[in-house]
Amino acid sequence: MSSIHPDKVTAERLAGLREAAHTPGRDEGPSLGDGSLVEDPAIRPPLVLSQRTHSEVTQIVCGYAEDPPPKWWFIAITISSTVAAVGTGMILYLIITGVGVWGLNNQVDWAWDITNFVFWIGIGHAGTLISAILCLLKQRWRTAVNRSAEAMTIFAVICAGIFPGIHVGRVWFAWMLFPIPNSNGIWPNFRSPLLWDVFAVSTYATVSLLFWYMGMIPDVATLRDRADRRLRLGVSKPFMVALPGGREVQLPLPKPDTLRAYIYGLMSLGWRFSSRHWHRYEAAYLVLAGISTPLVLSVHSIVSFDFATSILPGWHTTIVPPYFVAGAIFGGFAMVLFLLIPLRALLPNFKDLLTIRHIENMAKIILVTGMMVGFAYSMEFFIAWYSANKFEFEAFANNRVNPRVAPYWWAYWTMIGCNVLSPQVFWFKKVRQNPWAVWVVAIFVTVGMWFERFVIIVTSLHRAFLPGEWGMFYPTWVDILTFAGSCGIFLTLFLLFVKFLPVFAMAELKAVMPDADPHPHDDDHGEDH
Amino acid sequence: MSQTQAPATSIPIPERETPRAYLTEAQWRKRLDKLAAHPAMRHDNIHLPEGATTKLSGLLLIAGAAALVITILGAFAINARHALAAFEVGLFTCVAMSLGALFLTMVFHSLNAGWTSTVRRQFENVASLLPVCWVMLLGVVLIEVLGGGILLTWLSEEMAGDHLLEQKSPFLNVGFFGVRFLIYGLVWLVLSQIMVRTSLKQDETGQRGLTRVMRFNSGWGLLVFALTTAFFAFDFLMALDFRFFSTMWGVYFFASAALASVSVVVLVLAVLKGMGRLTGAVTEEHFHDLGKLILSFTVFWAYIAFSQYFLIWYSNIPEETAWYVYRTGEGGYKALFLVLAFGHFVAPFCILLFRKVKRITGLLAFMAAYMIAMTVADMIWIVRPMVYVGEHASENPGVWGGIWLDAAGIVAPLCIWGFFLVRAVGASPLIPLKDPMLHEALAHKNYV
Repeated sequence: MSSIHPDKVTAERLAGLREAAHTPGRDEGPSLGDGSLVEDPAIRPPLVLSQRTHSEVTQIVCGYAEDPPPKWWFIAITISSTVAAVGTGMILYLIITGVGVWGLNNQVDWAWDITNFVFWIGIGHAGTLISAILCLLKQRWRTAVNRSAEAMTIFAVICAGIFPGIHVGRVWFAWMLFPIPNSNGIWPNFRSPLLWDVFAVSTYATVSLLFWYMGMIPDVATLRDRADRRLRLGVSKPFMVALPGGREVQLPLPKPDTLRAYIYGLMSLGWRFSSRHWHRYEAAYLVLAGISTPLVLSVHSIVSFDFATSILPGWHTTIVPPYFVAGAIFGGFAMVLFLLIPLRALLPNFKDLLTIRHIENMAKIILVTGMMVGFAYSMEFFIAWYSANKFEFEAFANNRVNPRVAPYWWAYWTMIGCNVLSPQVFWFKKVRQNPWAVWVVAIFVTVGMWFERFVIIVTSLHRAFLPGEWGMFYPTWVDILTFAGSCGIFLTLFLLFVKFLPVFAMAELKAVMPDADPHPHDDDHGEDH
Repeated sequence: MSQTQAPATSIPIPERETPRAYLTEAQWRKRLDKLAAHPAMRHDNIHLPEGATTKLSGLLLIAGAAALVITILGAFAINARHALAAFEVGLFTCVAMSLGALFLTMVFHSLNAGWTSTVRRQFENVASLLPVCWVMLLGVVLIEVLGGGILLTWLSEEMAGDHLLEQKSPFLNVGFFGVRFLIYGLVWLVLSQIMVRTSLKQDETGQRGLTRVMRFNSGWGLLVFALTTAFFAFDFLMALDFRFFSTMWGVYFFASAALASVSVVVLVLAVLKGMGRLTGAVTEEHFHDLGKLILSFTVFWAYIAFSQYFLIWYSNIPEETAWYVYRTGEGGYKALFLVLAFGHFVAPFCILLFRKVKRITGLLAFMAAYMIAMTVADMIWIVRPMVYVGEHASENPGVWGGIWLDAAGIVAPLCIWGFFLVRAVGASPLIPLKDPMLHEALAHKNYV
């Protein structure tokens, strides 16, 4: 294998042997950034940097779960769990008092509750897309992000599940959402999209959990074996707690490795790394990917039916199912980037496994899905006009867009700014390849996707057909703290995941490294030696 | 909680060779030489012999011309609306195939899809026919405008005063319609020429950078593709009933386009394989993946068609349901509707799920031809009911009435389009010769 020293490139450039700019159309480009930004279409960029070996990847990934958590982790989880506790308190307050503690009223009877529900359920879609669709499409780069994205999916679905449950008012009747035979002979309305939601979301949660857990079994078994080995070698440390003043006290608890060997051992379901196990695993993985793929589309399509089957102006429009799906993937990838870019900076060696190329790829997906969402916004607006339906057009023009008459114009324009305009910077390679710039856009997109649901739900409800039925929605402090609480729950769960479970799919990551290729005969390597 | 052992995560990065960032010109030439020596790259394997296409293209041209004459005769024998509708059904299928191929070519570039290198040339050939489609569309537009709105009733004088039409007139007027039509032609011409010519240029020069040119142009190309395809579908298909509107309409047409284009490429490749070409270059692995694309676009079409139908059915607003009333009503349209539901989705979905079907060239080619037929059926279902509505409703002969005219009208544009396709296939190497990802496509394997 040869390598060209950057100095030589510079020298050649100065000597006029090499062109300076790397515009499209030139054959070669210098390696940029962290080494993953290969511009020569004849070469595939490396997916793991610093030429890590398989054992180093194991060390790195297991280290996150085995080493004492860094200081920032304690600070972060303290804050997030406090917020989660406040949110839980708000839910209790709501259950004790009634939904009147929210700002809902006769006119706007769905607001932040359903906005939050759709927001969180949408976030989850990126995980399923990465693990299922990108798997079927053989996108090898997904191996660096699939585990954490799937984890995020589960946690987002948990957050989403809270809201339909508590918004019904009498929470103790929430079981009536399910078609359970009962002595009153009361059944849910099977023709209601709200019931389909129950099925769609619970199917989604089940399959996502299975997929995530099953994919994790080999990696959890690795953690188990490492703990077990340390116990056998007698190098396991006891539980120590640091006191102020630098002293450490041993706690009368089993050693962490004993707990690990036991808990990871239970979780790994007897995985022994035998080839028979791998064979079953691969087959099951493909089947689950196949099952999850339609779920990526179906769940948010059915959520969109909650709105689109009605005849409310602004809700009833046929493009809504694919538009909601595109928006969900859009918001989901933004959340993946929002979580992983700081982790990349905070956790050691994370950058070797999650390269700038990965971030750039996800930025491109955000651009594409953002354009799809923008396409849907413009189609809705165009057809609202083209339909010549006065109510439909006014629902857009006068309830959303026009600042002079629409009280929620600021929400609409926040949505457009965040979802359509902000991703446009990703047309530029410089921005896509700058993790912190991508992070900022990811925040904008996350905000924008929350506002999208708010705009759809509240602006259509606050202006009914008769002006006498017009109203406004003002959130109460309970609304705000409940939503904040759901963010706290989400982040707490994610931080726990980062500490206790393998953040990368080690086994899959190793499979896309050059070491995994049993026939490494790249046609132009070797001959240069 | 604290452990005293040193954190295992701070693993120092050992001194290792930096991975290569690009091939030098010499290394690249070496790889090209190696590729040229690949058994699949024999000249006669990836080229058609001189004059091999003359017979087929001649046949297609004669058939197309004959069908066109029959269609024109039919316009006098039955009526012009019927003849034009039949011609449009075939023509829109051609447009769908070419547009879909342009879309997929750009998607392959955007995704750096290595395995598609050996099949991409045929997508380019299909996409290169967009100007041909546009010229045929120009004929339709001229007939419509000069004939005062034959199927596009919004053009006719009789509709003048219609309240809905007055509301829509800023969009539905001859001037703006003409401007839009010119824009579609221009965009499609520019995009298809960029993709085809750059690829052919790379065959000669072997410049890797041309792949980046195509990727760069695919980025903005996909955006303008989406807009022009959606508005083309509004103008030529949705506006057949100017009262009807659906935000999904552009996506619905796009779904057919993507599906039909993969299908036609599978057919072309299967024929080339039958002629003993492309051995080792396009294998059952490629057919398997193309089959997966057909399967997924079949599902995608069903998803879009169902969503559109379902939301309109559920809300049950007359201004939307009227469109479906014509298409699920008397005269065999209900049967056609069911044929689409089962024939365009349920049956092919169940069949294409099987791995074997996707990997046996003959079977997959049959399914591809079948899916093109189903796309034609979809177009018939969209266009044909518009022939006998309003004042003409009493003359409605049903789906089967004047079937000879329908057949001729549909076959005519397909054969003319086929003539140009066959010529395009014969005119260039059957695969890109110096694509930087060609070695991946030649070694392409699915999961074993």
